[in-house]
Amino acid sequence: MDRRSFLKTAAVAATSALAAPRLSLAADSKTLRFIPQANLANLDPIWTTQYVVRNGALLIWDMLYGVDDKLQPQPQMCEGHEASADFKTWTFKLRPELKFHDGEPVLAKDAIASILRWMARDATMGGPIKRQMEALEVVDDRTFRFRLNKPYPKMLFALGKSSTPSLFIMPERIAATDPFKQISDYVGSGPMRFNKDEWVPGAKAIFEKFGAYAPRPEKANWLSGGKRINFDRIEWQIVPDVGTAAAALQNGEVDWWETPSSDLVPLLKKNGKIAVDIADPLGNIGSFRINHLHPPFNDVRARKAIQIALSQEDYMGAVVGDDESLWKTLPGFFTPDTPLYTETGGEALKGKRDYELAKRLLAESGYKNEPVVLLVATDLGIVKSQCDVTADLLKRIGVNVDYQALDWGTVGQRRAKKDLPSQGGWNIFHTWHAGADCVNPAPYIALDASGDTAWFGWPKSDLVQEKIAAWYAAPDLTAEKEAVAELNAAAMDHVVYVPTGFFKQYQAWRRNISGVVKAPFPVFWDVVKA
Amino acid sequence: MLSYLVRRIVATIPVVLLVALFVFSLLYIAPGDPAAIIAGDQATPADVDRIRASLGLDRPFLVRFFDWFWHILHGDLGTSIFTNLPVTHMIAQRIEPTLSLMTLTLILSLGCAIPMGVVAAWKHGTWIDSAVMMTAVLGFSTPVFVIGYVLAYVFALRLDWLPVQGFTPISQGLWPFLRNLILPSIALGLVYMALIARITRATMLDVLAQDYVRTAKAKGVGQRGVLFVHALKNAAVPIVTIVGIGFAALIGGAVVTESVFAIPGLGRLTVDAILRRDYPVIQGVVLLFSFIYVLVNLGVDLLYTLFDPRIRY
Amino acid sequence: MSAGTPKYATAPDLPGILSVPKQRGRIAGFIYRHPTIAVGGFLVAIMLLIAVFAPYLGTKDPTALAPARRTREPSVLYWFGTDMLGRDVYSRVLYGSRVSLLVGFSVAFCASVLGTIIGVVSGFVRQIDAVIMRIMDGLMSIPPILLAIALMALTRASVQNVIVAISIAEFPRVSRLVRGVVLSLREQPYVEAAIASGTRVPVIIWKHILPNTLAPLMVQATFICASAMITEATLSFIGAGTPPIIPSWGNIMAEGRALWQVKPYIVFFPAIFLSITVLAVNLLGDGLRDALDPRLAKRL
Repeated sequence: MDRRSFLKTAAVAATSALAAPRLSLAADSKTLRFIPQANLANLDPIWTTQYVVRNGALLIWDMLYGVDDKLQPQPQMCEGHEASADFKTWTFKLRPELKFHDGEPVLAKDAIASILRWMARDATMGGPIKRQMEALEVVDDRTFRFRLNKPYPKMLFALGKSSTPSLFIMPERIAATDPFKQISDYVGSGPMRFNKDEWVPGAKAIFEKFGAYAPRPEKANWLSGGKRINFDRIEWQIVPDVGTAAAALQNGEVDWWETPSSDLVPLLKKNGKIAVDIADPLGNIGSFRINHLHPPFNDVRARKAIQIALSQEDYMGAVVGDDESLWKTLPGFFTPDTPLYTETGGEALKGKRDYELAKRLLAESGYKNEPVVLLVATDLGIVKSQCDVTADLLKRIGVNVDYQALDWGTVGQRRAKKDLPSQGGWNIFHTWHAGADCVNPAPYIALDASGDTAWFGWPKSDLVQEKIAAWYAAPDLTAEKEAVAELNAAAMDHVVYVPTGFFKQYQAWRRNISGVVKAPFPVFWDVVKA
Repeated sequence: MLSYLVRRIVATIPVVLLVALFVFSLLYIAPGDPAAIIAGDQATPADVDRIRASLGLDRPFLVRFFDWFWHILHGDLGTSIFTNLPVTHMIAQRIEPTLSLMTLTLILSLGCAIPMGVVAAWKHGTWIDSAVMMTAVLGFSTPVFVIGYVLAYVFALRLDWLPVQGFTPISQGLWPFLRNLILPSIALGLVYMALIARITRATMLDVLAQDYVRTAKAKGVGQRGVLFVHALKNAAVPIVTIVGIGFAALIGGAVVTESVFAIPGLGRLTVDAILRRDYPVIQGVVLLFSFIYVLVNLGVDLLYTLFDPRIRY
Repeated sequence: MSAGTPKYATAPDLPGILSVPKQRGRIAGFIYRHPTIAVGGFLVAIMLLIAVFAPYLGTKDPTALAPARRTREPSVLYWFGTDMLGRDVYSRVLYGSRVSLLVGFSVAFCASVLGTIIGVVSGFVRQIDAVIMRIMDGLMSIPPILLAIALMALTRASVQNVIVAISIAEFPRVSRLVRGVVLSLREQPYVEAAIASGTRVPVIIWKHILPNTLAPLMVQATFICASAMITEATLSFIGAGTPPIIPSWGNIMAEGRALWQVKPYIVFFPAIFLSITVLAVNLLGDGLRDALDPRLAKRL
């Protein structure tokens, strides 16, 4: 081979490798470029419960009911419903003009298949409904009916729930997929269709306007009303480096950033071309999750030691920074500024932090300097900051911390282990719950105290379970409030988990974008780009 | 020549196989459970078990290995656990940015480093020489990401000459394509540049001391002519060698560069896959990288024959 | 010879054309002859001193949190400012030198020992040479950073594991180097003579082979040390290295990376320290190579 022919071959190889389909177009008013909160690695909102997948799914699939900014379910794909007086029979009628992205009409059989797949995976509401369901049947092409053997008055909340997994309506053939297997066909019912060819998982996802989508006549309000999209294309760009994302927004390379770090907000605010506002009014609740199975925290006194020593100010400072408008202390388990919010029983989290009492309580619980395993996910900022504060706190109250630096994937595996902490189990991990999921006990799995079947940490308290049941049975808001106040006190007393505070996050966008609203999810309808 | 090529390629097979087995066993014993990540915060342990079973992650080691291997023999690298896309498809999507980044890095660093090394050798012992050498050592004493941040700050945010992040395929025009790649290539190329400048200088010094160069000088070939025509030709072999050896380092650097500059390349794909325990993707990418490495070094050997006619196979 | 003159034989007076090189003091002479070793060694020594005496250099507890005084600019009170959790960056950077130096030196040591053993075995035992070298090829074909990330995912993050992971990525190069030296030494008449006279192999290795590998090995070790420090920082930076609770330069930079535009000093100071240290070790390596093997010096 001589030099020339070698170079020629090399050149041919190089160009053929570079020949790729034409990708994103230059920025114009019909294209919105958005940086989501996390990497969109798949798009099956039933199979996985990540919020970022739910947010993408909201563009592709429509829902039977959608919540408004009061978290009240409003009819979306449904024209209306009819419930029997005993709440045992629910009949729903679909709007006639609904179309899937392949042009097929949306029929009752599609809704039923979607509901069944969702029920198999939704432990908070779908599962319980399924257990008391006698039949879910097609009445006619556009009508279907639930027949239950017990009343379920909160049916609309279930069908319209925005906490994951939400009930998205897919064509029957796709909804027939095993709920534990991922779908690979993304034919949707929502205002945008997913461009699978241009999808680069981990880098970008493209949504294109679906022309035949029939929005409701009302004005959009969160997930309810007419979802009118003013873009031909919405490009989700995943930017893993926070600093780079900020620079991209400053440079006008993207239009909207879902979760800017609060420390960068002053910088963004200084830029006249960028607007910054609170993203989600319902915010988030930080969680100090304790394993109730093993010493020292199988003893309530050891759990109380944490409760009495933990400073929510420290946690919130570490998570969201100096901006005090972004966080508040939370001496309770429920989302502030929502109807059921209560501080009953939350005294232990207020006032001066008492390290001496904590040490005494730990000693009384029989703690003898055994290593306490703290699972740290280093790849999630909010989790990692909390863990660093916890390591410092435990040191102060004389606990021997075993700080295990892992990634979230490993934490996810480890926290499911009920083994002794010294044998691969754990004592403490951190996470956070979306405020929207903590407005009442129904979606609030972290508060469940049913022992073995409870969420990771497996708290067991009959009193807590009794109060949760009391809320389900409550006939009106006053009774609900009373039940939740007692529930809050019982859960505080048992230390089901320790809230580390309530915090909000910002979102930021270029000023040529208008119509961005505050919500627990990005709302793309009615957003306009100049 | 052809038989040599065939022998060389056959010899790479056990290497690649070994890498495959090594990577597979490594991941098998690694903790971390993709099923738990998929299931998410709201899932019950029973759900997690069912997902694990549906992904086939509960089968024994050897069964999984041979299953995977059998598919590789058929050109099938499997399906990503998270995206449900074929691994070959995911790699194909990501290969252009990484290949472009590496090619431009190579061009830039060779383009700068060789003149630097030549000048340093030419002005051997002067302050120019020392300055070049000092720059070169600095080049591989600074982490890629620090260089990346400084470049992005100066050239993108302050001067507004170039974009901060992203990638534009070459099919949309050469300038849009280059605009996005210039900063990352410089950041990534500095280490390489340092290495190549040093080796160029050293070889040039070696060559310049040899008899035939002195003869050429005596014959009246000008200073510049001597340096470039005779010496550089001889310096080519060690330069090409170092390019081959440094290739693995280049891939490693690309991992970081791609995440700082948000380039959707193979490096980011790998890190994401490792953090999520997306086994088929990790295996596919590592296999690809070792295959490319082997190919590049094969190419290096072939280039020897171009640069040095005495080498024959 | 008077008492004041140095105790070495001076050359007889030379004719006027050749000037006598000025005799210098030992240290001055060494610095003159090996400026890079001197500068590099000096900087490395300073870093070592900083690492050892970190607690006495006006530092505070590098892990003590104080969310109330987070992200303060550098000032008299906080020389390098404070980070997102209110920790003192100056203290963290100083303590961070311990991790980097420990990782750098340990990796250099482990990779050299392991590489030497494998290189010598491979060079001496022809039967398994091919197999070993294929394995080394395989290991070398995996980019070191990816290998280290994979190994870190395999085990828990800890400084020991970082050292092991980087050593595994580095030692194949050492083994190739040593094998090359061994192969060329085997052909040397004195080694052949030793073999012919029935000297036992371990003795040959100990007496003839190892001393001759020492020089290239030392040079290689300094470069491994430098590259290991960069790799540690990079691993920590992408979140797969030293556990975040331990202040290492990579960790400090990783934590500050989101704020590089607003609080550049959090990234800047550890970066400077890292660069200076790596630079110093590299200079030391360059100098050693020049001093130990002038022939090699020209080649790289």
